[in-house]
Amino acid sequence: MNGYRLGAIGIIITFFTIITATVLLPMVLFNPKPSGHGNNYTLTQVADPARGRRIYVREGCFYCHTQFTRLQDRGYGPLVKAGDYVYETPHQLGTARTGPDLTNEGGKFPSQWQKAHLINPRALKPGSIMPSFSFLDDRDMNDLVAYIQTLGNERKVTAYVEAPVEYKPILARKTVDTGSDAAANAGRGIYTQNCAACHGLEGLGNGPNSISIEKKPANFTRPFYKQYPDDFWFYRVSEGIIGTRMPRFGETLTEEQRWYLVAYLKTLQKNSEDTVDKLDQLNKVEQIKLPNLSGQRWEPPSGGD
Amino acid sequence: MYLERILSDKEGSASRNFFLSALWWSLLGMGAGLFAGMEFSNPDLVHNIPQLSMPHLRMWHVNAVAIGWLSMGYVGTMFHFVPTLAKTKLWSERLGNFTMWAWNLVMVGAFCTLLNGATEGREYAELSAVLDVLVAVALVAVALNIYMTVVNRRVKKLYVSLWYFLGALFWFPLVYIIGQRTFVALPGLNDAIIGWFYGHNILGMWFTTVGVGMMYYLLPRLTNAPLYSHGLSMLGFWGIALFYAPTGTHHITQSPVPEWLKAIAIISSVFLLVPVLTVLTNFFMTMKGKWQMVVTDMPLRFTVTSCIFYLITCTQGPFQATRWINWYLHFSQWVVGHAHLALLGTFSFILTAAFYYSIPRLTGREWASQGMIRAHWWLKTLGFTLMMLSLTTAGLIQAAGWQMGIPVDQWGLSIRPYWFLRAISGVMIVLGQFIFAYNTYKTLYTKAPQPVALKAEVKA
Repeated sequence: MNGYRLGAIGIIITFFTIITATVLLPMVLFNPKPSGHGNNYTLTQVADPARGRRIYVREGCFYCHTQFTRLQDRGYGPLVKAGDYVYETPHQLGTARTGPDLTNEGGKFPSQWQKAHLINPRALKPGSIMPSFSFLDDRDMNDLVAYIQTLGNERKVTAYVEAPVEYKPILARKTVDTGSDAAANAGRGIYTQNCAACHGLEGLGNGPNSISIEKKPANFTRPFYKQYPDDFWFYRVSEGIIGTRMPRFGETLTEEQRWYLVAYLKTLQKNSEDTVDKLDQLNKVEQIKLPNLSGQRWEPPSGGD
Repeated sequence: MYLERILSDKEGSASRNFFLSALWWSLLGMGAGLFAGMEFSNPDLVHNIPQLSMPHLRMWHVNAVAIGWLSMGYVGTMFHFVPTLAKTKLWSERLGNFTMWAWNLVMVGAFCTLLNGATEGREYAELSAVLDVLVAVALVAVALNIYMTVVNRRVKKLYVSLWYFLGALFWFPLVYIIGQRTFVALPGLNDAIIGWFYGHNILGMWFTTVGVGMMYYLLPRLTNAPLYSHGLSMLGFWGIALFYAPTGTHHITQSPVPEWLKAIAIISSVFLLVPVLTVLTNFFMTMKGKWQMVVTDMPLRFTVTSCIFYLITCTQGPFQATRWINWYLHFSQWVVGHAHLALLGTFSFILTAAFYYSIPRLTGREWASQGMIRAHWWLKTLGFTLMMLSLTTAGLIQAAGWQMGIPVDQWGLSIRPYWFLRAISGVMIVLGQFIFAYNTYKTLYTKAPQPVALKAEVKA
């Protein structure tokens, strides 16, 4: 009998030691302060992101979409920190990436695109296996899109890739005042000719070419881009981005033209992400007929009328 | 009397009722899994039916097979095995039957809520508050029943299976209550830490411990051979007790949770190789000279298959938990394959073995058809092997896709064929389960009772 009593005491002590070490200790020792980069759902907007988050939970989006970027992830924006998740209860970190990571999804696509994608994913991404969420009613859909558009917006980048040393002399002989309206006006035409085909006329990243490009073009209206210094804009424009279809405009545009372009690009940012209350102001993408914002299943265009 | 019918105190009735309920929920749970699997290879299968959208089916599938099929079957098994090992009756059949009704109520509630998306949004702890409380009550009632049975035992020594059962019934109610987080709102990452403590220990402190206890019971009984080593079995038990509980954080090794917690989780995950290899050495040495019996003895064949899958899953696990392999494989379908290897390959097989072993002993009826048992084994084994291979291959392609930065809809197309194979494997497994259910129905409800020639039972 004594042996079992000893055993039972052993089990109880082992278990509670482990609980203390791995459950209670982290609750006491690990209390990250809000980094100011995670979403705080108390902001009031027309569509309600906090309610949208509940829709996200209800529809089980987290079974296929993660919400944390890892060191090795390319193209998913800034790396997350512990303080980003203080308001996230229940956590939506996710376990599998059957779909892309959504940590910084907000603002990557216009709200109207997000909505169309939720209703018929394969019309916009032919290889996708996402289920259609056409059964969501208008309010659920708007709130869910509003939530998606908030993801990552507070996550500010503080360190950029710097232009390499070879660029220092070029940057030093800058002749254009990139803050002036005149330079921005001059850049507008250059943008329309060279950039709009992919990045869209208003810089939303929704130009006609964007449909067929694997790595989607950047959406310049994101507040995020306000933090780019002139030098970095210039470097990006000149050298393009490896692994994407972004070409090296250093090859085709003169130095002066690139500086005008920078001046124009700096005017595209908005103060906040587009939310669904501003849908009417967005450019309609004509190539894909957008669905009505209702719960009905959307039929893809048949070709003729 | 109604009381007699609903809360019978006939010996063995609680165990039998738990087994039959488990079988019923397994049909619905595995069916939902198959349906969700079909939606992976054919995403436009259903439209505008929220109850049948993939995430809702997945919630129900996971809860139905984990809380319904496996857990209810485990309780049924313990209600039969523990009295046998203690050489006494179950402490209270009435309480056992009451627990059975409470548990079935939970499952009906889960069916109605989860398919409609009423979830707490916590993986593996989706059930809403009321159902959580009911599960906890049912677990405590089961624990009380089993503990009292052991207290009233007529043998002095406790066989190793009892150690596992009693350990599991101490750990699991606590793990469940800690893990639900129903009434607390913790900040995101702390929520995740506890979530994975629960998510992994529902496996480690419940499915593994009870499942291994069942293997310890069934192998010597079915082969008529004494257990190879009691010393090894104790080493295995304490190894699991020590190394399993802290492993949860290895599910989030690449998220910004504290590094020391990740280190504890990864180290203890690797150390899990010790109890696993100990336990399996014990099993395979017990089988020495008895391997030919798997040809004729179907419960034994299920048990041995389960042991072999256990070896594979527990060799995969510790390696997957290490940082560099996790770096590559995490988030991919490989992990889904691994999870099915543990729950379907190992624990569902051992539960099926216990089912086939126990029902004749509980009801006094021999199985209606041995052929159907064979068909069930073949369908389940071949189906599961196909599922495992296709998911693992898909996972490798997918992991390569993530590492190379290829967009989802590109590699998504290249793993569609594997998802299609997975759907086919699902059809085989579900078909096997339906044959199983039909065989049970035929045995219990269409034939006059026959006395069973039970084997001479070995002194465990």
